[in-house]
Amino acid sequence: MKLALQLGYKNLVGAGLRTWLNAGVLSFCFIIIIFFNGLIDGWNQQARIDSTEWEVANGHLLHENYDTSDPFSIKDGHGELPQQENLTPVLIRQASIYPDGRMVNISLKGIKPAQQTIKLPTQLLSTSDAEIPAIIGKRMANAAKLKKGDQVLLRWRDKNGTFDAANITIVDVFDCNVATIDAGQVWISMDKLWEMTGLNNRATYLIANNKYQHQNIAHWNFKDKEELLQELTNLIETKKVSGAIFYLLLLTIALLAIFDTQVLSIFRRQKEIGTYISLGMTRWEVVKLFTVEGSFYSIFGMLLASIYGTPLLIYIAKKGIAFPSEAADGMGISISDVIHPVFGLSLIVGTIVLVIISATIVSFLPARKIAKMNPVLALKGKVQ
Amino acid sequence: MSNENIITLQNVTKRFKVGDGEFTALTDINLNFKKGEFSGLIGPSGSGKTTLLNIIGSLDSPTEGNATVMGKNIAALSHKESALLRNHHIGFIFQVYNLLPVYTVFENVEFSLILQNIPTDKRKKMVMEALEWVGLENMANKKPSNLSGGEGQRVAIARAIVKRPNIMLADEPTANLDSKNAHAIIQTMKKLNKELDTTFIFSTHDEKVMGYLDRIVHLEDGKVKKDELITNATQV
Repeated sequence: MKLALQLGYKNLVGAGLRTWLNAGVLSFCFIIIIFFNGLIDGWNQQARIDSTEWEVANGHLLHENYDTSDPFSIKDGHGELPQQENLTPVLIRQASIYPDGRMVNISLKGIKPAQQTIKLPTQLLSTSDAEIPAIIGKRMANAAKLKKGDQVLLRWRDKNGTFDAANITIVDVFDCNVATIDAGQVWISMDKLWEMTGLNNRATYLIANNKYQHQNIAHWNFKDKEELLQELTNLIETKKVSGAIFYLLLLTIALLAIFDTQVLSIFRRQKEIGTYISLGMTRWEVVKLFTVEGSFYSIFGMLLASIYGTPLLIYIAKKGIAFPSEAADGMGISISDVIHPVFGLSLIVGTIVLVIISATIVSFLPARKIAKMNPVLALKGKVQ
Repeated sequence: MSNENIITLQNVTKRFKVGDGEFTALTDINLNFKKGEFSGLIGPSGSGKTTLLNIIGSLDSPTEGNATVMGKNIAALSHKESALLRNHHIGFIFQVYNLLPVYTVFENVEFSLILQNIPTDKRKKMVMEALEWVGLENMANKKPSNLSGGEGQRVAIARAIVKRPNIMLADEPTANLDSKNAHAIIQTMKKLNKELDTTFIFSTHDEKVMGYLDRIVHLEDGKVKKDELITNATQV
């Protein structure tokens, strides 16, 4: 193997520009793969942090009749608050608001103003003098064209199904990256919602804080943080796969260049192959030699990538990538205005392994033909 | 020269497929070569000289008959066994030298020793000794592209002889050289033949080489026409 490494290195260095062209393309692949995955990982990390801080906390205790993916379950999906500490109750009711006379269907959510489990600025719900103070997110504010201080008519049903209506006052428009607590939602005080609906002491789900130790509670199902973030993880994985198509395409082009170079090399170096065999190498040793030589492209590419890629990626990781908020809103997933890519060791090592293995395979494919070569014809330089 | 036969060819026939038919390159060759012989295969182009050298060198195998080299039946050897035979017992010298272009002179000569896993210190000593034999000890760090034809062929000789093979096969070694270099090369080989008792077999139609041969095997149309011992060969 030492000989193959030595000879592979010498042959590649001796090939000059051809080697550096291949290495250059491969180095670009390295950077793109690492950058793209780093961006997704950074996004994933940021999305998990934001979702945890603003929505998920340490997990949710959901009423057995409430199904997060079924809006029809909201009507009866609530129950008596369990006698358990470290839980913040949230009651959800379906309602409508009428900004500028237009009807907008919303989820009306009640939450204790004093809660500190999630970052929602609920304190304002207790300090305001308004009859029904409410907070909404920036997405909701944009969609309904509402701003801080606006009043808007709210219509809801009480526990008996009777419609009722009143004006609510927007006391704050909060800015957060988690669309699932913002879009189409209006947050008011839990006590006020209980009073408005007659559903006293009831909740749809409860948010667990970090001190919460789960014990089985009748009629309530606990979903821990990981379970709640699973959907987010799955979504990001999907984005990763679709992104992989792009960089695999790029990698294929680079590997094709190596493949072509190897084919040309074997075609051009028949005499050399014959000489190796006449000097006492077995054909498979020569195959190994050419394969190692091809693998060296990936090592050279990696070295080249580290020269210009390291400062570039460090700069990008520090500066971040700006993401237009309009684009983020349409994705239904928490995404901040600036994403800071995360370039972990496993990502870098994984990419190196991927590229080296791929380059080795495409080098081996043409090289294995050497095993079938007639050494006599090879010595004469005859194309086989 | 001892009486020990290190190469035995019995009824060796070699045919090649050419299109739908066959071309017979060698027919019923019966020859023995003893250790330390300095012999040549002479004949016009297409007479089967190179084919015979390739069979002896285990680069090819006979279609019929037996070729035994260093006690091994060439036709029965696996790729690995024939590689081992070449690596340890057979040195090749080619008409166009076939030096590895990216290696220096030293590294070219060192190559077969690396294949034999000889330790670095010993290797270095053996390479320098081989370069001294051919008078190129001062050119160890040069690349083949910087050598003249004669120097290139001398590197090829050093590369073949460095592992002290029992058999040296030289295919038209002087064909690309001028008269002065051709004599120098053949004299170097003759000297090595005497000093190391290595069997040399040439394929040639160069008159200058013929003068140094102790035995000449005349081939014509793949058959041995004449096998003569030369008593008055030029000595060095």
